[in-house]
Amino acid sequence: MKHKPQSCREIEADLIATATGDAEPVVRGRVEDHIGFCAACRGDFQRYREIDGVVGVLRREPAMEGAVRARERLESRLADLRSRLMMYRVFPSPLGNILIARSEHGVSLVEYLGERTGFKFSRLAQVAGVEAQEDGLEVEALYRELLEYLQGKRTRLEWPLDLRLARSDFQRAVMKATVAIPYGAVASYAGIATDVGNRSAVRAVAQALRWNPLPIVVPCHRIIGSSGLLTGYAGDKLSLKTRLLGLEGVPTLSAHRDPRVARDTMYVRDRNEVEYCLPTCGGLPSRTLADLTLFASRERAESAGLAPCTACRPDLHPLSA
Amino acid sequence: MMGAQPFETIVAAHHAEIFRYLRRVTSRTSEAEDLSQETFLRAYRAYRTLTPEANVRAWLFAIATNLSRNHFRGEKRRRLAYASAAVEQRETDLEGPESVALFGEARTLLETTIRGLPLKQRAAFTLRKMHDLDYETIGQSLDCSAESARAHVFQALRKIRRSLDGHEFAHMEPSR
Repeated sequence: MKHKPQSCREIEADLIATATGDAEPVVRGRVEDHIGFCAACRGDFQRYREIDGVVGVLRREPAMEGAVRARERLESRLADLRSRLMMYRVFPSPLGNILIARSEHGVSLVEYLGERTGFKFSRLAQVAGVEAQEDGLEVEALYRELLEYLQGKRTRLEWPLDLRLARSDFQRAVMKATVAIPYGAVASYAGIATDVGNRSAVRAVAQALRWNPLPIVVPCHRIIGSSGLLTGYAGDKLSLKTRLLGLEGVPTLSAHRDPRVARDTMYVRDRNEVEYCLPTCGGLPSRTLADLTLFASRERAESAGLAPCTACRPDLHPLSA
Repeated sequence: MMGAQPFETIVAAHHAEIFRYLRRVTSRTSEAEDLSQETFLRAYRAYRTLTPEANVRAWLFAIATNLSRNHFRGEKRRRLAYASAAVEQRETDLEGPESVALFGEARTLLETTIRGLPLKQRAAFTLRKMHDLDYETIGQSLDCSAESARAHVFQALRKIRRSLDGHEFAHMEPSR
């Protein structure tokens, strides 16, 4: 190995920097002084200048062949990813662990996980075509609102919804009809069946709500049997249904093994009316829950935009709680 | 919460450059296509967690460089890439009069040397000399200090210089 003089070794980095246009003026001056008397370094300097010249040519070449096609493919894969990507997180709540997931379209899943916390226990892990990504930032605000709701500090969850995890158009229609049932009110499976235009599809409605991907937000807990029985909730979680209804002030009787709504203590609205009545109102055309919505209080009925009935006057003769 | 700009604008602003960078680092169009796609898909997944003051360009270069590193991991695979890249190169270089051919030779040598550099040197060299990034940003992209970034570039230049020893080539005036 050839040994360069100390001064040449010391200046090598500066020499390279100067030759390749990467040096401060003061450094340039020093290098120029050195190569003024050192022929070997002058040769090196020239060599680096030449390299810089070739690099400059390479640099100006666009290297763009294939870029347009690559961009097009990227756009289409991005669109695909966007529609598949769901951000989720599991949060603790008074109702056990709850997983909340959202896509770019809106909230797509609210799921009771009970004691479990792992993503593998979620429905999301089973859905084909979904790319789930744990991301607290995206769903943190939703969680806070949900907690407020569960603490009774909020009566609405006005979230954009993504209903793509619904299993069918029928289920989506049932969910949309269910969203319309206001806080503090209950309607029946038969009533929802009527809303979606198929009065006899009561069991199908119950099944659709059993698999509701958005419980609480799509308030399937407000839908009960025509007999007044709570019937069921999210499979085997009837106690949660009682709790959620209790939170909204809906009275339930649990003297029997099968809890039911205390309908005699609730105000009533016929599906074709814009007034609410006492449960005993003589003007009611029907007494079956398929045609009625029940309200826990006058306040709830009125905040749903209803006026007191002018025949039974619930405003003058309120039900004693 | 999302990054400051919609992701579309990030793609529009940086796709061409990242593609070129990967084209240069991998020497192959098909790999530049795959890796640039993967770069932006990863970036999309992580974009919402990026702080507003982050240097998006450096961040994208970092993702692209990491993907290249994974891509090249394994000497065998890397050698295969060389072999086919060399073939691609020869096909495109058969052109022009003598001076061009002479220059072409220097250029081929230089490209071969760059391709043979360790990834960090190759990436640092490409980012500095082809994409005009400052050393601070190169450091961010390569997850090292600005000083090391500079050292990588100089090390690359030394190796290029050595590889050209004994070869005459047309004297080109430097571009700067």
